[in-house]
Amino acid sequence: MSAASAAVAPAPSRLRLGPLVLIAPAAILLAVFLVIPYLNILLMSFRAPGQGTPYGEGFTIANYLRFFSDGFYIRQVANTLWIGFLCTAICLVVGFPVAWQLARGSPRFRAIGYGLVLSPLLVGIVIRSYGWTILLGNNGLINRTLTNIGLIEGPLPLMYNALGIVIALVHVFLPFMILPLMAAIQGVDPSLETAARSLGASRLTAFRRVTLPLCMPGIQAGCILVFVLSLSAYVTPSLIGGLRVKTMAVTVVDALIDTFQWPWGSALALILSVTGALIVVLFARLTRMKWKVART
Amino acid sequence: MTVVRIESLSKVYGAVRAVDRISVEIGDGEFISLLGPSGCGKTTTLKMIAGFEEASEGAIRFDGADVVRVPAEKRDIGMVFQNYALFPHMTVDQNLAFGLEMRRVPRAEMRSRIDRVLEMVQLSGFSGRYPSQLSGGQQQRVALARALVIEPRILLLDEPLANLDAKLREEMRVFIRDLQRRVGITTVYVTHDQAEAMTMSDRVVVMFGGRIAQVGAPADIYERPQNLDVARFVGQVNLVSGTVASADDGTLAIDTAFGRAAAPARDGLHPGQAVTLSLRPEAIGLGAPGKAGAPGRVEARYYSGSLIDYRVALDGGETLHVQSFPTVAFAEGDRVSVHAPADRLWLIGAAQ
Repeated sequence: MSAASAAVAPAPSRLRLGPLVLIAPAAILLAVFLVIPYLNILLMSFRAPGQGTPYGEGFTIANYLRFFSDGFYIRQVANTLWIGFLCTAICLVVGFPVAWQLARGSPRFRAIGYGLVLSPLLVGIVIRSYGWTILLGNNGLINRTLTNIGLIEGPLPLMYNALGIVIALVHVFLPFMILPLMAAIQGVDPSLETAARSLGASRLTAFRRVTLPLCMPGIQAGCILVFVLSLSAYVTPSLIGGLRVKTMAVTVVDALIDTFQWPWGSALALILSVTGALIVVLFARLTRMKWKVART
Repeated sequence: MTVVRIESLSKVYGAVRAVDRISVEIGDGEFISLLGPSGCGKTTTLKMIAGFEEASEGAIRFDGADVVRVPAEKRDIGMVFQNYALFPHMTVDQNLAFGLEMRRVPRAEMRSRIDRVLEMVQLSGFSGRYPSQLSGGQQQRVALARALVIEPRILLLDEPLANLDAKLREEMRVFIRDLQRRVGITTVYVTHDQAEAMTMSDRVVVMFGGRIAQVGAPADIYERPQNLDVARFVGQVNLVSGTVASADDGTLAIDTAFGRAAAPARDGLHPGQAVTLSLRPEAIGLGAPGKAGAPGRVEARYYSGSLIDYRVALDGGETLHVQSFPTVAFAEGDRVSVHAPADRLWLIGAAQ
């Protein structure tokens, strides 16, 4: 008996190198190019502003005090969050039906649709954003067409405002919403809806009570992706927003590169990151799925 | 409770008639099985009764009222799916409550009905579990409970045991049948497993190619198959050739290797004609060589505990599958005499 169990028992614990070796490249990459820079930014945000130099002598919390005492920057963070929220909400509402068709539609539609959804990602983000300025500008294609056919008197304000930024960002980030949604919908057994209907639920109720909650992992992933990407987007907001509307990312870059205030820019960058992270954590808590955790 | 009448019901996909003008009446509280190979139209028929497939032609009547135009959620059916289709994000309780909520049953009544049904399926104490925390058999019983707790007019089961292992499957057959008797609900059960259909049903509907081949009690289907397809699909069968010796007074006398068999006269069968008869393996007896019967030799022997299966080659050339109790034991290569009672020889029709 004891001989048999000894034969089955695992070999004496030996350091298993395999998994460590496999995660090493990613771990090193993250440590060197993410964690260390972050620590650097954190340190920088507490440095004193410099006179003619990027930063001065000694440490201070003046940068954070400056932020919290100036309503202008708080409003700008709020504005950035609002744009992020709008992008996420619109991507979710617009993307869900597309993801549904990609997951449940005919195979031919799925092949074509998948290609169409991915195609924006094949064009560089700078080019796409310039494309939007051509469409949305006061003298742009949309305004000119509408004026020419007499629908509007003067140009509609489509650019240099939050609306333009949201339109362009939704276009850029839609695939990041659709793909996780599609994967989630594919994971939901269609017979569950049939079962719900056999129990007396209408199609709408079956969707609301059964399919939608089961798609939650995909909704969660898609929303977090789009929200985070919208907060940190730089190229599109700076091209479409111009000087009139600035998101935090644009202001941070201004501070770091144009006005050369590294401590101030670092503090702004950290405030944006932490705020975004808090919202993501809160969102993840609120949409927590008990049934996902409950495993024996 | 509910009598279901299916009247020349069809389902047409393009040029294919998946279900072709079938008619059958299912009595109140009756347990009926739709039995057939895959693609025979049994599942499509069930889906039409449930309302998940639209009927192309014909009527489905619940107590006389045609429900063909009634949407699935208004038909008041309880359905059990092959993959159980339990809601993974709901506990056992919530799964059972779902149908009751749709029917706006008051909270207190809901509780007592759920408790009662859970007790019926022997799952009291599991109400807080999620489906992922249950075994296959337990999930199966939750699915059954969820269909029954709404007290539907009819219960529909779509191959509910197909995903269970053999032992559990046999237990669940008995369990479902006993439960159905106790509740007394009209039940339609779809399966491709003839043993399942036979043990559970009051009547079996055998389907091939979208049509009903035979409807009858399990013993009818087994002992008196109406054609070759049914004989072959339901249990194992030996096909024995014979010749019509005479046709008098509405009775045919048929000569076979096992002696003379009788059958009711049939159109198109006349003396001298070659016919095919069915003979079930367990109806055949083996005896020591030299005794009455056709001489033969044991080619192969398969022991399965309660029974022994033999493959016996008759000296006349035919090969028979014989099933007997282990009390009669022969070895491979033994000479035997093979006999069968004439009344177990069942006339299928003219030889083909």
